[in-house]
Order: sequence, then C-alpha cells, then structure tokens
Amino acid sequence: MLKTTVVVIGGGATGVGILRDLSMRGVDTILVERDDLGYWTSSRFHGLLHSGGRYAVKDKEAAKECIEENTILRRIGRHCVEATESIFVRAPEDSEEYEHEWVKSCAECGISAIPISMDEAFKLEPNLSRKLLSAYRCPGAAIDGFRLLWQTVASANKYGGKAMTYMEVTGIETENGEVVGVRIRDRWTGREDKIACDFVISAAGSFSGEVAKLAGLTVNVKPSKGTLIAFNHRICNRVIHRLHKSSDADIFVPHGSITILGTTSIDSAPDDTSTETAEVVEMMKVGEVTFENIYDYRILRVFAGTRPLYSADPNAKGRSASRGFVALDHAHEGVKHFFSVCGGKFTTYRLMAEKVCNMVCEQLGVNEKCHTAEENLVDDPSPELINRAKAVFPSYGAELASSRLGNDKLERVIERIEKQPEMKELVCECENVTRAEIEEIAGEPTSHTVSDVRRRTRLGMGTCQGTFCAYRSVGAIDKEDVPWSKDTVNLCKDFLETRWKGIRPVLWGNMLRDIELTRAIYDAALNLSGVEDIK
Amino acid sequence: MAINKQHAIDPDKCTACTICITACPVTAATRKFRGPKMTGPALTRLRKLVSDDDPMLDYCSNCKTCDLVCPSGVPISTLNMMAKNEYYKTHPRKSRADDMLAHSEKMGKLITALPMGSTFAGMGMAIGKAFNMMNAMGITQNAKMPTYASESFISKFKKIKQTSYPRKVVFFSGCYINYNQPEVGVDLVKVYQKNEVEVAVDEKFVCCGSPMVSGGYIDDARINAAKNVKLLKGWVDKGYDIVTACTSCGLMLKQEYQELFDFAGMADYAEHMYDSIEYLAKLNDEGKFNTDFVENSTKYIYHAPCHLKVQAIGRPSMELLPLIPGMQIEEADAGCCGISGSYGFKADKNEIAMKVGSKLFARIKNSHADLGVSECGTCRLQMENGSGVHAIHPLTVFKKAYGL
Repeated sequence: MLKTTVVVIGGGATGVGILRDLSMRGVDTILVERDDLGYWTSSRFHGLLHSGGRYAVKDKEAAKECIEENTILRRIGRHCVEATESIFVRAPEDSEEYEHEWVKSCAECGISAIPISMDEAFKLEPNLSRKLLSAYRCPGAAIDGFRLLWQTVASANKYGGKAMTYMEVTGIETENGEVVGVRIRDRWTGREDKIACDFVISAAGSFSGEVAKLAGLTVNVKPSKGTLIAFNHRICNRVIHRLHKSSDADIFVPHGSITILGTTSIDSAPDDTSTETAEVVEMMKVGEVTFENIYDYRILRVFAGTRPLYSADPNAKGRSASRGFVALDHAHEGVKHFFSVCGGKFTTYRLMAEKVCNMVCEQLGVNEKCHTAEENLVDDPSPELINRAKAVFPSYGAELASSRLGNDKLERVIERIEKQPEMKELVCECENVTRAEIEEIAGEPTSHTVSDVRRRTRLGMGTCQGTFCAYRSVGAIDKEDVPWSKDTVNLCKDFLETRWKGIRPVLWGNMLRDIELTRAIYDAALNLSGVEDIK
Repeated sequence: MAINKQHAIDPDKCTACTICITACPVTAATRKFRGPKMTGPALTRLRKLVSDDDPMLDYCSNCKTCDLVCPSGVPISTLNMMAKNEYYKTHPRKSRADDMLAHSEKMGKLITALPMGSTFAGMGMAIGKAFNMMNAMGITQNAKMPTYASESFISKFKKIKQTSYPRKVVFFSGCYINYNQPEVGVDLVKVYQKNEVEVAVDEKFVCCGSPMVSGGYIDDARINAAKNVKLLKGWVDKGYDIVTACTSCGLMLKQEYQELFDFAGMADYAEHMYDSIEYLAKLNDEGKFNTDFVENSTKYIYHAPCHLKVQAIGRPSMELLPLIPGMQIEEADAGCCGISGSYGFKADKNEIAMKVGSKLFARIKNSHADLGVSECGTCRLQMENGSGVHAIHPLTVFKKAYGL
C-alpha cells in the first residue's frame, strides 16, 4: 500500500498542474492516470495558447484569465510554446459591428490587438484568402499538449511529486464521510493496490462524472466533442482566427510541422473520439473562407476530443455551457476532502490548479503560496549541450529533440549517439526522430506501446503516418531490456490501427495514394493481416 | 507538374514512397547525402518550423533523376533548389566557386570581350592550377575545365550567309555554346540550312539561369527569366519555333521556369520549344528531314543527358543518327555522368561526380568507340575526363554526314 497526502485523479493538463502546484508547496502528492498522460482532451485540441481574443466580447473574465496565463506560460513553458502570435481576420460574411465591439473589448481586457493592412497580412501569411477584409495581430501562440504535460510532471518530480500512468482508480474509500484512500489497478499487470491519502482531487475532465460516482456523488459534466483536422504542413506561421462570434472550424494553428483546423461542438459521451467525413466536409467549407486554397492542402488525419464543459444546470449544453471552471468541494454533499475540478481551458490549466490547490491547502493548513508561475517547467539546455546535440543530430533535429526531451534525456540520447553513431539514423524521417530517441523513450517505465513512444517523440505523426516508421520502430524497440517489445506483430498492428483511425474519414487525394502504399507494405509485402492464420 | 504558385513550397504530393532515393545517383555515391525525399519534401516541412545548418542541400546536383522517377509528380529537385536559395540568404557560402560557377555568363562575357582573352583565360587556368589557386577558390584541380573560344557564337553567326526559308527558328544558344563551343552553334545553322530551315538568333537573350538555380541563386535567375520569357514569347508570336542545343537551357526555359516563376506567356512559348535534334526528328516525322548523307564509319557511343531524359522527349538522337549510312552507334544507358553542369567542378564534389559517372566511363571504355556523342556540353567534358574518349554534339555528326 502506498501512502500520500493527496491523490490527484487524471493526467491531463489540470491534473498535472495540481500535481506540480502541490508538490511545489511541499504537499505529498501522487497523480494516477488511467491511460497515458494526455491521452484524452489535453492532446485532442488545437494546440492553441489563447490570447483571450476569442472570448473578449462574450466573456471578459475568461479573456483576462487567458491573456494573463498566456503571458505566464510563454515564460515558464517556453519549451512547449511556439510564440507565433496570432492574426484575427474578418471575412466579408462577418459582421463589421462585431469587429468594432471586439476591438473595444480587447482593449478593456488588456489584449494587444494591432490593426494591420491586408497587404501586410498577406505578406505575413501569403496563403490567406484575398477576400478577407481586415486583420489584427494578437499575442496568441501554439502550445504542445504532450510536451507541456510531461514537462510539468518532470518539474513536479523535482519536488517529490509522482505520476503513475495506466493506473485505473477502481474505488474511492471513505470513513465517516471522509476520504481515506483510493483503490487502484495497474492496467498492464492487473495488480491491485491502494493508496492511503487524506485528500482526493478529481481532475478527470470529461470523466469527472464517472469518478464522482465512485464516491457516490454526482458531477454535471457535459462532454462536448470537438473535431480537428491536421494538415500535412504549415499553411500559416501564425494562429489564424476568424474575427466573428465564435463558431465551428474558425481557427487554424500551426503546430510543429503541421497545421490544425478546428473545431466543432457536439454533445457526446466522455470517451467519444469518433470522427466522420461529413464533419470534415463541413469544416473545410468554413476553412475555405480563411484559406481559399484549402482543398489543395493535404489532410493528414482527423481527430476528436471532448471538452469537459461544466454546468450546474444539468440541461445546459454545447457552446452555451460555461467555458469557465469550477472547483467543487464535495463536503457539502457529505464527502469530506474530496474535490472535483471541472471545465476550463488548456490555456488556464495553471490557474485552475492554483485555485483548487488554494482550497485544499487551506483545509490542510498549509500556508505556502503558489509558486507555479515563478519557475520554468524545465531548464534551458546549456549552449554546450546544444552544441553536442548539433554535432550528433541530423539537420533540424537538435533543436526539436532538445525541446521534446528536456535536458537529462537529451543528454542521454546524445550519449547513445556518441557511443554508437548509427543511433542517429532516422526511424521517423517525416518528423526527424532518431533511433537513439526511440530507444531511450521506449526503455522508460512509462512506455508500454509504440503509441506511448509516439506521444513523446512525434514518431509516426508526419506525412507517411507510420508507413515507414511502424516496422522500423518495432524493430528498434525489440530489445532484451524492453519487456513489452516482444509481440512485434501486434505492436505493428496496434500502431497502424491508431494511425488508420484518423485517416479513414479523410481517405481521398494524396492520403488515399499514401495509404495504398501502406497497404502494399504491410498487407502485401509483410502479410500482416495473414500472420494470425499461420499461428 | 507545376507547383501550386500561391503556395510555392509545397511538399504535399510526396507519399514518401522512397523511389527517388533508389534512383538518385548522388545518394548511391555518398552516404553524406540522405537523398531527394529527405532533402526535398520531408525537410521542407521542418524548414518551415525551425532553422538549422543544412549541409545536405549542397549535395543535390539538380540532375533531376528524382523528378523523372517520382510517380506523384513532386518537383523534388526544384524544392531542393528553392530551399538552397532561401538557405544561403542567412548562411555563408562554403566557397567562392558557387558564385563563379553559377554566373558563368559574366565570366564568358568578360573573357571574350578582351583581346586574346580566351588565351589568357586558358593560361590563367593552367597557372591557377599550377599554383593551387583553383583549390583555394573551391574549384577542383582534377577536372578538365571548359575552355573559352576566341570568338563567341553570336559573332561567328553574323558572318554566316544563310538562305532564307519559310520555316524559321530562333536559336537560344546559351552560354556554353556562345562562349565555350561556338562551333556547335555554327554546326546547327549548317545542318538546319541543309533542312531548309532559317535560323535566327537574338543578342538580347541572357543566360537561361540554370547554373544560378543549381547554385542556389534563384533570385538572380528570376531576373534573367523575366527578360528571356518576354523575348521568347515575342519570337513565338512572330511564328518562330525555338530551339536549344543545350539540354539544360532547354529544360530551364521550357519547364523549370514554370516550376519556379510566375511570368505571363511561359506556357504559350513552351509549346514551341524544341531540343535541336528533337526538332530534326519532327522534320523527319513530317517527311522533311534531309537524309542525303555520306557514309560514316566512325564508331560512336551515345550518352543521354539527365536534363534530356527529364524533358520526356525520348531519344531523338538515337532515332536519327542511325539513318546515316554505315553508322555504328550504341546508347550507353549508364545513368548520370556526374557533372551536373557545374557540380562536378566544385572541389568538394568532384570525387562524388567521378564516382557517379564511373559506370558511364567504364561503359564508354569497354565499347571501344571512337567518339562519344551527347547533347550536353558539360556531359561531353565529363565523358572525356572520365574515359579519355572525345565527345561531340550530335549536330556535329550530322554536319559531317552532310559532307560539310
């Protein structure tokens, strides 16, 4: 049995934010996550660090929170944030009155919105539709969900915080109306255990209702599914917003090597990540207003996540439900020391964590204030380390790998290549991921599948969507010291299936041609579908 | 095949199938080059994201074999050249050879403008070699360099008396023929006259820009293209066809301009552009090719330049040369010669260029041919450098066959 002061349930942005916050205040904390970190909502989004501009008219409080947190995250999370800035553009079909109101609101919220001429806008972003009428530069940015989560956990680790992945909470134990522990089950080994604790904070996002049920409680989360399209390359170098009342498919975010267009809003089950061609067709129609050549750009895949919208009113739905967040102290419903934090936005994850941690600390009698805005998540790599990386990584690899890995792992990866130069071979050519990096991450105790390695390295997330890197990575991982690497057939199959899930609804044009190549390699040359029959 | 202009750097069509890597002659010759797919479409995505040292860009020779084999119509080599152009805006050049070799027209003009300039240029190169100066400039000591003619083609052309015929072409001689091998141009006029074609030239034509593009000076090439496009369009409007006797000039004017630039009229004149031998093959198709040849017992081996292959016009020389009585000619079919215009003259690339061409050199030697034949001037130099067998333009073979 493990013992700690606080158990946090849920390894999304909010959960890891709480883990880091409490750890920094000296509170013993363990985070448990049923899947991998960022498996759900915290990676299934635009990758947008809001400037607040989108909320300026409708929800000034949210807008102010966004710009404040945006400023903080650019500083403390600089290795997760691409400080691209954003451009708000108004199309002929968008209201001019709204534009005036928006400009006024941005000023009130302290969001810088600099008007630029359309000529200037087209110079900055040559692919923008020539029909657009006005443009403003705002301080939006792109943020990498996977990276932010792992780096936040890495920061918490330094203060004793601990995160356990693939650990399912099977029960919340109470005594005399007070939380005393959680029962957990390791989803890989099946081993059951218990963590004795004084407090439980549920940061389970869209699953908050299900977690609350374990303690016999009700939380009204209305999951709302948003679908997103990933394009093969950077269509723009800045986040592009439509300057109108927030709606579907009106934001493009350049995210690493790709561009993400989103999103939609449909009431859904918490685990609904399904996508349909019809949604893509509708989104493309809207997207065409911003980028008139959108149909020329290759779609890589489509994915979906659910927003954990919270409403005290169980009948509120979709975009009308509040995007703000609540921290619920369930003491009022008869379970002491059990909190749920619901709703909110990725951009304000740190603030949400701070607020809920303040409540918990007050009850714990901990007077230490929140320090999460003061310290960077990870240290900058030293110039020496970057130079060592540049000497061994292929072109464009050193900087990307150092941001992905953080200093300690970067150094270990560099050492692998220094010892064995062939380790700099690219397993994933599209995203420039070396064999050394794959082997390093695969060997970590948190990795159990090729997809786990993917989330950490971007393996298989580029143009060929696993066609070449699936068999290469399975080959590279298959080692004595990687216990889960033996079933190479199923590792390959599982990995390709996860890629296939996102490709299936957009199977046309260049992607269709690409998938035929995938089929030729895995079905024809390697006979992957026939292997079971031989067994 | 044209790139989406509005979105000029477009990696989207590549399916990563890797066929280009299996066909790339440079990848086969050196592990330092990770191949066209990687340098072209794959890294194009990352170049939009981060900036880094990119030594591989220099290894692409722009031979365009990748474009030829690509089943998806990705202009891979052009993506490489565009990346190179952008790259050197923010990174220092490795050597002065890049500039010199990319702007060969400047050098040609300078040398032919001086009295005895070509003699001094030849001596200068010999002295330069002797004193290791070429190496200091980044130019190889190992390759035979192009020599400069004492009189340019344009100057020689003015002295030729032609018979006027209704069928007229304008000849874009290009720098190599104008400054280095003017006799090829003279042969063209003689052979065309034998076929009742009147040849015009235009002194206002400038370097096509091919060496500039390969050297990563696309912005300079754009200036030249603007001038040439206007002139070429004008000639076509007057009813002229356009011929080139250098396959790189031909490819540049006909195809690469359209991939790189967005000037009006490019597609219009491109339909009227012919390689000099392709034009004769067209006459042959029309039953108008003069086959009144004298017998020729010389043994030839023909090498098709990469920049001819990528034009997708077949092998017109192998179609027409066998019409000469007694002709003994075989096609080498041994891949790229390695020189790729100016690539093989660079000190750090010469070894690669020689390795690329080794298959061709062995093929030429084993054929026991008296002469090599190829449409490309630097291919001919490389054939000589590698095999010791002198190589000539097919037009020269025809001139001889006409008893001229």
